[in-house]
Amino acid sequence: MLVTLAQAVINGLLIGGIYALVSIGVTLIFGVVKIVNFAQGEFVMIGMYLSFFLATRLGVDPLASLLLTMPALFVIGMLVQHFLIRRVLALGDMPQIFLTFALSLLLMNVVLLLFSANYRTVQTHYTEAALHLGSLYVSVAKLIAFAVAMALSAVLWVFLRATDLGKAMRAAAQNRDVAMLMGINPDRVFAVAVGVALALAGAAGSLLMPFYPAYPLVGQVFVLMAFVAVVLGTLGNVTGALIASLMMGVAESLGIQFVGADSGLIVVFLMLLATLAFRPNGLFGGWTR
Amino acid sequence: MIAVAVLAAAAIALPLVVANRFAIDIAIRVLLFAFIGVAWNLMGGYAKQLSLGHAAYFGLGAYTSTILLIRFDVSPWLGMLAGGVVAMLASLPIGALCFRLRGPYFAIATIATAQVMMLLFLKFRDFAWGAEGTTIPNLGDDPLMMQFDGKAAYYYIALALLAVGLFITHRIERSWMGYYLVAVGEDEDAAEAIGVNALRIKRQIYMISAFLTALAGTFYVQYIYFIDPNTAFSFNISVEAALVSIVGGIGTLWGPVLGTVLLETLSAFLQSWLGSGLGGVQLTVYSLILMAVILWRPAGLIGFVSDAWKRLAPAPAAPVEARDG
Amino acid sequence: MAEALVVRNLSKRFGGLRAVQDLSFAVAEGETVALIGPNGAGKTTSFHLITGYHRADAGSIIAFGRELAGVRPYDICAHGLARTFQVARPFGKMTVLANVMTGALLRDRRLAAARAKAQEAIDFVGLALKAETPARDLTTIDQRRLELARALATDPQVLLLDEIGAGLTDEEAAELVRTIRELRRQRVAIVWIEHIVHVLVQVVERLVAMDSGRVIAEGDPEAVMRNAAVIDAYLGTAV
Repeated sequence: MLVTLAQAVINGLLIGGIYALVSIGVTLIFGVVKIVNFAQGEFVMIGMYLSFFLATRLGVDPLASLLLTMPALFVIGMLVQHFLIRRVLALGDMPQIFLTFALSLLLMNVVLLLFSANYRTVQTHYTEAALHLGSLYVSVAKLIAFAVAMALSAVLWVFLRATDLGKAMRAAAQNRDVAMLMGINPDRVFAVAVGVALALAGAAGSLLMPFYPAYPLVGQVFVLMAFVAVVLGTLGNVTGALIASLMMGVAESLGIQFVGADSGLIVVFLMLLATLAFRPNGLFGGWTR
Repeated sequence: MIAVAVLAAAAIALPLVVANRFAIDIAIRVLLFAFIGVAWNLMGGYAKQLSLGHAAYFGLGAYTSTILLIRFDVSPWLGMLAGGVVAMLASLPIGALCFRLRGPYFAIATIATAQVMMLLFLKFRDFAWGAEGTTIPNLGDDPLMMQFDGKAAYYYIALALLAVGLFITHRIERSWMGYYLVAVGEDEDAAEAIGVNALRIKRQIYMISAFLTALAGTFYVQYIYFIDPNTAFSFNISVEAALVSIVGGIGTLWGPVLGTVLLETLSAFLQSWLGSGLGGVQLTVYSLILMAVILWRPAGLIGFVSDAWKRLAPAPAAPVEARDG
Repeated sequence: MAEALVVRNLSKRFGGLRAVQDLSFAVAEGETVALIGPNGAGKTTSFHLITGYHRADAGSIIAFGRELAGVRPYDICAHGLARTFQVARPFGKMTVLANVMTGALLRDRRLAAARAKAQEAIDFVGLALKAETPARDLTTIDQRRLELARALATDPQVLLLDEIGAGLTDEEAAELVRTIRELRRQRVAIVWIEHIVHVLVQVVERLVAMDSGRVIAEGDPEAVMRNAAVIDAYLGTAV
């Protein structure tokens, strides 16, 4: 019984690492650019397809393809910010929501048109490998994914705190006008923020490929998790998103183990409900009125 | 007013003139989705509460009337009203939760709500047939049970629903509620500072919007004789409800109608042109149109129509709307 | 004279920042009081607390005998307290008239009555010619006029003005003074946050000076302006 519990917790933490990459991206964009990226999951999906094609056409291992997907998505992010997001920043909620929402729909359906709805998988030599710690079973692919996810999060943390650009991002997040007065170019900062967020999504995609199938709607699964984690971890709070994502991963895993195989969504919803009911500002949330 | 009368006359005359069943079917779809869009627009257009989970109420309406029909032999006319009431009541706790969030997070919460509804109905085999759904018995021509031979009757019901929706919107637009709704939509805090109970207004409009959306759900089941959770609570319905309003003209009376006419006829063309083989084409086109509208005409395409109209026949503006510059 | 507004021991902190500490002052019916102090003194925050925009951590707010702490902003407005925001917040999509009507609807939901009252308020602030202009097309000064008209349409007995005089020309300032004087004649109690002192002293009966969330001086305008602590607060002490 305890073993089952421990197993579920471990599985939950491991997948929670992936959720963290997605939700950190969402919360970063929200904190800095003040816009919710509904298409974040679709960029994970794109990362997955990129890795898939690199693996099947060029024989590149998905983990190695990180080196390609991350920069590629970083550039895509900067383009998205420059050509799309920038145009709606002054317009208010509706255009901002529906722009990224439309982007999400567009990406999903274009991929569907181009590559059909078939599941794409990549088999690596470590896809089936596992570590056995006592009676616990730890998938190597998931463990690597988790480790890389945590490493990337740590790098981001350092970036935000120690580099000028990172500090500029945090400044712009806190107060755009003052940041501008101090010579920070908001467009540049926003472009980097979106670029970083999408790079993280791309990383998630590559890390997922060894053990998860790619298909046009795969992003939807992760984005809902990510959004709840962002709310739970307090909007704009990167560390909060990380912690909340791990919590959600564990909660989902426990739900699947002890309640039922398709209880994942119910668990997510219950967590959202509980957050809204008791801590609407999130776990690390600021001042209530 | 003359324009409206002409439109109404044309709309009423349409089934008498057009015999093509396919065309009438499109027309019914247009009327129905325009109605759903109008219902959404009350919440999303005027009060700027951007729900992406309205399918929850569509499905509730559809299932309520179907359950009452199949299990208790209740006429769908009554079932339609019952569905509306159920939806209204459901909107209260859902609103209580979701209104704690603003902007995009409100939208996400509503998406989650509709998803959970779908899941619940997928699981409830006991009274709601689970994932396979159910058909409703074909009673032939039975007006009292909302079943008719031929499409004309369905057309007129859909037209009536749309008319009701437009009428309600028109009345609200020109009442104190219209002012309060737009105020809350523009700046909730400033509205509260001048005495507007924002939460109460949001609750009220949500109830009305949910009620109307549920009516559409019942109609849909009666029209296609089938219901299942994936159709009834489909995310596509939630999306289309918002989409037609945004493309047509968010927060305007005729916006949703214009949006639906454009999008549904476009969709019908695509279908006949490409066949239904290519999944994803319709949504790709829709999402491109949505992006184009947001980037270049966020107030919606109705601006073109009203500009042209103003040149032809200047008329007093609705009190709440300022003309776009 | 009855007390229109009594604020007692009001406190509010945001995380580690004590925005308002133990704030107490009173305004009599029909009195015009100015709230002055350097930026960050907690003046706007106290307005937020009084109007229910933020919930105070401690203290009481009594208007015409009713405790308002913890009451929602719309009820506070219904009870007779109206405010303007430091940066005007018009309903951009609506015309000037529609904006003010929204305020007037508080007292009477009938549109005709609301329109009449709104028209009055619009005339009073001098926006009559722009009644049909969309609010988002107004100049900043006109938006402030709109803000005032909208607040007045709710028939307030206490009016909280937040830096409504900032950036005005001499002519506009004189017009503002006339407007305030007229409101005073109508027995509206006014609490006015302001920096432009030469305008204040023409119409204000009493000054309350704040710094770092507290009241540091109160009383006759001339005396308060000469108060050492007040001068310190504005200019800072030499290190």
